[in-house]
Amino acid sequence: MAGTKHKTPLLDDLKEGKWPSFVKELERAAQKSPRTDDLIGLLEKSYRDHIPHWKHGGMAGVKGYGGGIVGRFSDSPEEFPGTKEYHTARINQIEGFFYTSDVLRKLADICDEHAGGLFNFHGSTGDIQILGFKQEEAEELFQKCAQLGFDLGGSGSALRTPSCCVGQARCEWANYDTMHVTDNLTREFQNEIHRPTFNYKFKIKCAGCPNDCIASGARSDLSIVGVWKDNIRIDQNQVAEYAKKFDIKKYVVDKCPTHCMDYTDGKLTIDDSNCVKCMHCINSMPKALRPGLQKGAQIRIGAKVPMVQGPRLGFILVPFYDINKDKEEDYAFLKDLIRKIWDFWDEYGTNRERVGELIQRVGVGNFLEAIELEPLPEMVEHPRANPFIKFEEYLVADEEEESKEG
Amino acid sequence: MPDVDKGTVRITDIGPPNYENFLPPIIKKNYGKWLYHEILKPGVMVHVSETGDKLYTVRVGSTRIVSSDFVREISDIADKYCNGYLRFTTRNNLEFLLDKEENIEPLIKELQALGFPVGGMDHSLGNIVHTQGWLHCHTSASDASGVVKALMDEFYDYFVGDKLPAKVRMAFACCLNMCGSVGASDIAIVGMHRRPPTVMADRVKDLCEIPSTIAACPVDAVRPKTINGKPSVEIDEDRCVFCGNCYTVCPALPIADPLNDGLAIFVGGKVANARTKPTFSKLAVPWLPNNPPRWPEVIEAVRTILEAYKDGARKGERVGEWIERIGWPKFFKITGFEFTKYHIDDFRLGEATMNYSNYARL
Amino acid sequence: MTDEQKQKIKAFTVNLVKEYHGKKRFKPLDLEREIEQNFQSENITRKDAKAVIKELTDSGELIYGYAGGSFLALPEDQTQ
Repeated sequence: MAGTKHKTPLLDDLKEGKWPSFVKELERAAQKSPRTDDLIGLLEKSYRDHIPHWKHGGMAGVKGYGGGIVGRFSDSPEEFPGTKEYHTARINQIEGFFYTSDVLRKLADICDEHAGGLFNFHGSTGDIQILGFKQEEAEELFQKCAQLGFDLGGSGSALRTPSCCVGQARCEWANYDTMHVTDNLTREFQNEIHRPTFNYKFKIKCAGCPNDCIASGARSDLSIVGVWKDNIRIDQNQVAEYAKKFDIKKYVVDKCPTHCMDYTDGKLTIDDSNCVKCMHCINSMPKALRPGLQKGAQIRIGAKVPMVQGPRLGFILVPFYDINKDKEEDYAFLKDLIRKIWDFWDEYGTNRERVGELIQRVGVGNFLEAIELEPLPEMVEHPRANPFIKFEEYLVADEEEESKEG
Repeated sequence: MPDVDKGTVRITDIGPPNYENFLPPIIKKNYGKWLYHEILKPGVMVHVSETGDKLYTVRVGSTRIVSSDFVREISDIADKYCNGYLRFTTRNNLEFLLDKEENIEPLIKELQALGFPVGGMDHSLGNIVHTQGWLHCHTSASDASGVVKALMDEFYDYFVGDKLPAKVRMAFACCLNMCGSVGASDIAIVGMHRRPPTVMADRVKDLCEIPSTIAACPVDAVRPKTINGKPSVEIDEDRCVFCGNCYTVCPALPIADPLNDGLAIFVGGKVANARTKPTFSKLAVPWLPNNPPRWPEVIEAVRTILEAYKDGARKGERVGEWIERIGWPKFFKITGFEFTKYHIDDFRLGEATMNYSNYARL
Repeated sequence: MTDEQKQKIKAFTVNLVKEYHGKKRFKPLDLEREIEQNFQSENITRKDAKAVIKELTDSGELIYGYAGGSFLALPEDQTQ
């Protein structure tokens, strides 16, 4: 049996096999935590019953914060008393998910002393999650983490904890300091993270390049993706080395989405004016090709999950801006844009309406006007095909006025 | 705000610890100066800096839900081989950050002896991004960790190897809330309901906000109705698509159904921009039963997809790119999955997905 | 915003939540709008409203709840 108290034949099966077993992890925690022992029993019950055994609703939180604690109350507290209250705390991760053994051990001690000995590294948004404590224990858990330097993360109708890729810490393709931006925005918007004031959740993710290893284009309302403007740097000697290993024309040149590359007589040329920064050629030959030197970021907006109006990816809002120069001004442009978007969303959004849905409802043109951005062809796949144009300008038959705004 | 209690000041609004204090010296020294990287073998890569310094990364898969002892265990390993420095990845893998090449092999040996799978890089099956499932979520239509364990046991060799045509990124969501936005994955597995919620008529008023509940429905299937003299709601079962969003906002509309909850499989999505634009995964299999602890039907379906992909895709083609090249009809033919009316999009913008041409391989 | 105004707004806000208890849940954004509308003549801004709400939640006079979205509730509402 998994754990010590409950018979768990179904979960026991998942202790076998080559992949690490989460059941063994639950068991390890259960050795020290009776409530996690009960969690195992509750999970086995779900495996038998084929339904979740968590109640809907119930509040949990720490004073002054509207998020960071997700309440979880089981529906079988008599049978598994340890799961009567078994909440999750979202703990703001260190940017880039970097840790030291020292800080991890301290977190482990806190988790054992104040919760059920279980973590998620990490939750879907990017926070560390600590599982298995009651409401009355929340404050002390929070303060112990805070004393170690970790605040709670966001939950509810708030800014969720921003997250980022490894960026310039390790990646040669990072076009800006993703960790610096993420850290800066997180500190700037502490109030918006901890005290929900939005219609619904809002997520920000920072990727260093269009490979988007943090999946910002799919998983965040506001996606900041590093790009470059000028020419890809080419080392022809290294290209020649790659040519010995694979067919450059077949696997690189022919795969270019805009056919802007040529490889003839051993020379690779790129028409950078037609390069859309897809990263494929650079991915294929990391020693031979590097992003250009005029670096900046693109901003995409509106990605979200299916509920309610359907899933969305982010569309281009800002095709290029010099985020490295903005860094010198504490990211003033970026923060101003974010606040404008929030103001618009506050003003016109409805309950549980994500920004992407609001934009779709009111029209991109109206949204752009409100946040003071010009419409750009980079924002669209192609212009409209239907002719239902809501004109705002028209002429009036008048001696003095040639044209009049609608 | 200060809240003096027993002489301690309450700490709030501090954000995370400063990341600069957790970077290994080699990263601090070479921050922003990396030149290129190479994947040396499955799960091992080297980043080379303009200064000539080399940073080695050893990546291992983890279960995302881990014990405090796991955390201590990896801390000990990090101390032994890389001065205590490590990080996690977006896909819940764990990376040890070494500046000594000679430590790579002993580290890998020790990791493997402890049961850690070394891999998840390059043309491999990545770790499966997933949610809490029955372990910790009230809206789950399936368990997450269990399905992931079952799949990764079965396809373990694809994680520790690099012989797939291109990288394959699988993700799992235990319900349509899709925490983790799995919908842009090579293979996305999603918990589904297929019966409407039960209306606990006399509890709706007490537990829910009726306007919000009505607004939560993507297909306008929730209507106000007075039942037994109390304001309540009714579900238009002809319109209901069993998404469960009404339950998310209204506890009096439970939708979990042990007989009819199951899993759907979507394929062909990607987040990266390389070669082709990011795109959502598309429906391959509408419903497979929940069959814990090993979900054999799901494993078989995923095996079918992976085998067909391995056999048919060209080097460097993601699952979606392979399918686009051969065409969806051929995908259904090769896999044997049934193409049904469920596969045709009937939601908003669904008409955009039809084939408005003569293009058909005959 | 004077201290006197602040106390008035606080009282208004808490009473609003009390009045609608069991009938309607107020999102913080909803309360901001109510405050702004009700104290329009006294030139109370959205920023003032946010500051008042922050004081109420910091002190625990109102607490945050979550039910498919965040809302503000009375402390006595904290139940399972």
